[in-house]
Amino acid sequence: MNSQHSDTFEPRITAFVCNWCTYTGADLAGTSRLHMASNVRIIRLPCTGRIDPLFIVKAFERGADGVIVSGCHPADCHYTSGNYHARRRFAVFHDIMQFLGVDPRRMTFSWVSASEGAKWKDVVNETVANIRELGPYEAYRALAPDAVEPWPEAVDGLTPAGDQEPAAKEVAS
Amino acid sequence: MTGPAIAPAYAGVDELRRVARELLESGEVRVIIGWEDARRGARPVFITDPAEADKLIFDTRCVHNLVTYLDPRRDHVSELGRIGLVVKGCDAKAVAGLLRESQLSRDHVVLIGMRCGGVLEEGELPEPLALTPENVAPRCYGCDNREPTLTDHLLGEPQPEPPRPVMTIDERVAALDDLPLEERWAFWTEQFSKCVRCYACRQVCPLCICERCIVEKTQPLWIESAAHPRGNFSWNLTRAIHLAGRCVDCGECERFCPVGIPLSLLNRKLQQIVHDRYGYTASDDPENAAPIGDYRLDDQQEFIK
Amino acid sequence: MSERFFISETDLRGLTADLLDGGTEVIAPVATDICQSPSAVAATACTLDGSKVEIDYRQLTSADDLDLSRGLPQLSLKEFFLPEHEPLCRWRQKGTTVQVFEVPTEFAPRVVLAAKPCDAAALAVVDKVMNWDYEDELWNGRRAATTVINLACQVIDDSCFCTAVGAAPDDVKGADGLLTPVEGGYVYEPATDKGRALVEDFAARFSADVPADTIGGQADDERAAARARVADNLEIDADSVRDWIEANFEDPLLTHLAMRCNGCGACTGVCPTCHCFDIVDEQEGVGHGTRRRLWDTCQAPTFTLHASGHNPRDTQHVRYRQRINHKFSIYPLRFGEVLCTGCGRCTRVCHAGQDLVEILEAIDIAARRPRDAEPAEAAS
Repeated sequence: MNSQHSDTFEPRITAFVCNWCTYTGADLAGTSRLHMASNVRIIRLPCTGRIDPLFIVKAFERGADGVIVSGCHPADCHYTSGNYHARRRFAVFHDIMQFLGVDPRRMTFSWVSASEGAKWKDVVNETVANIRELGPYEAYRALAPDAVEPWPEAVDGLTPAGDQEPAAKEVAS
Repeated sequence: MTGPAIAPAYAGVDELRRVARELLESGEVRVIIGWEDARRGARPVFITDPAEADKLIFDTRCVHNLVTYLDPRRDHVSELGRIGLVVKGCDAKAVAGLLRESQLSRDHVVLIGMRCGGVLEEGELPEPLALTPENVAPRCYGCDNREPTLTDHLLGEPQPEPPRPVMTIDERVAALDDLPLEERWAFWTEQFSKCVRCYACRQVCPLCICERCIVEKTQPLWIESAAHPRGNFSWNLTRAIHLAGRCVDCGECERFCPVGIPLSLLNRKLQQIVHDRYGYTASDDPENAAPIGDYRLDDQQEFIK
Repeated sequence: MSERFFISETDLRGLTADLLDGGTEVIAPVATDICQSPSAVAATACTLDGSKVEIDYRQLTSADDLDLSRGLPQLSLKEFFLPEHEPLCRWRQKGTTVQVFEVPTEFAPRVVLAAKPCDAAALAVVDKVMNWDYEDELWNGRRAATTVINLACQVIDDSCFCTAVGAAPDDVKGADGLLTPVEGGYVYEPATDKGRALVEDFAARFSADVPADTIGGQADDERAAARARVADNLEIDADSVRDWIEANFEDPLLTHLAMRCNGCGACTGVCPTCHCFDIVDEQEGVGHGTRRRLWDTCQAPTFTLHASGHNPRDTQHVRYRQRINHKFSIYPLRFGEVLCTGCGRCTRVCHAGQDLVEILEAIDIAARRPRDAEPAEAAS
């Protein structure tokens, strides 16, 4: 089934990155005009130590097909030790998710420094390629209550479940 | 009920009753929390009157981890005054956990440790049974703390090792690990789908000590509180990882679960993870730092690009 | 109940199949050997060659699954009338417009077979509060659409006490008919129009020819024996208990009985009459979401937590007292019925040893005791 959708399927990937290293690294990738897949939505946090594993769960709940968590290399943390704490936490999370049956390729963990724009590009491209291979994360979506409780009939031509894009977009335009 | 002759009780019950009586009489403690024999089997008891110390029992039905009553939120227990608590080795590990996390002051509690030879899976039996591979609580197999060290009184005779259960928890975890990813996913989502979100697992856990549980934070709704598969997955995962490196394997979460989710498999897997990665094993030494919240510069990072 | 019909077990299964074939949803006890599932080896309740049967009310897919063993299902029938969670409405935001989508409150007809009389009786008890200050359309809709047929109970164990709270193992309260096992089949006694309609719609399955010895014989004997057995477990004067609790709210007995309670709330989950619910808004991203109601429990600290931070039920033993108070005093005072049908599930599910039989006995003794004879000694 994987090959079927690989032509049309555009993975949705959420990246949780730290402000000081990876976000800046991703910025460098952009200003360097590096060509990379555009499937990643970045969420910037102060530090990998601020990234609760629940963020990843939430991303999957809201329809992410894959997740990237990235921050400063060991010894580089802006707050000295946030990434060390995160490293333990995500090691445990990585292992237990596998035990629960989550494909580890759905979650990419990386260290990307502010000067590693090229590495960020590689991380993104590799992750997107992996997820393209794995296909949409249907197994997680099947947990959604909507999967068994169809929405009521459309009202005034508006279907409730429709597109997933935030309404805020329209307000802004 | 395949047990042969019935062991009436573990040795040390008389000592236990004497120590409890003396502690109450001298005023050293105001209440003894131990086990009693009731209509439906062994259960926790709160003894404030020295004359009632003879109610105390200790046998293979004493499965409950009474440390849960030391939870700092249980005002109705702490307001009774200084507590004398009867603990098995596994329970003592939970006391160490509370001390480690500054949830308990050591002088608030007198610990009466019992030498233990293992307990049954369930305590709701009219008489204690001798342990057999079929009825022993699987977590007791290979227990490294049958004689607790974190105690003020250590009572009873040394006990023989509990029998090997028909299938150990480690074997069950390994059996799951051997399944293909999709089947593990199917197994766990099916198990979690039974969850009715009563949070019994959290309430009885001696180490679930948060003032306000993340699952009660509804704005924003971090963990969906409805018992649909998605909310259940998120809740059961979160409960487990919040206890990573803290769980002492007392098995109360699984025992209290009204729908029988095998939470001990999840807990044991997490114990294996923190052991394999960080060499940590739960003990009743409060100075033994828990692995999460701690770090080493050279921690493994093979999963990080 | 004057009308009696006979239905053989084959015809009962046939009737079930007829209903299913006709597209009617059928809910009934189903026994599952949880050790037979493919990954059971990993489930700690099972040994290698083990077998552990659990009974649950389920929506039947085949008449063969109908379990007539009369064991007690783990959870009560409640979840089919007040689901663990259900959408109340959904909303969608488009630009500055918010639209609300109502959920349907009419339900297709369905039949519950072999219900436990205590579970069915609970429906009638909860009907009162569901039609008190607000008529709950979802509850009422499901009630109206459902025909409930009881199977006379043989009493599960010494935690059963239905007769002490005004129910009985052969009750039809809250139900539309009753099946009683006799030689070769069941005697069926319809109790309502819905119960009679079942006979009319599937006349071929029933026989008006009830074997003579079952009237005033077999069926009634068994039922009388069951009633006597359950009465042995507990006898209380529910009215005195109600009044005593009301008058002695501060009595230490009520809180003393709850010291060991862990506040896990499992008792409220398995209870057929506990009906308190919470309402949460589940937002699916920015654009749309669902307002959902779900089971709540009075044993949780947040149940009575005020926005101010004040909590009138701030410790576990007063929360347990609240549960007893609500069931045996507040509800009977308001609605004239005890909010308990004596199924005993709360006692069986409590691994801390809270025992409702023992607690009711203690309160009953306190209530019978002359007020001035022993002043407040029960607490020690």
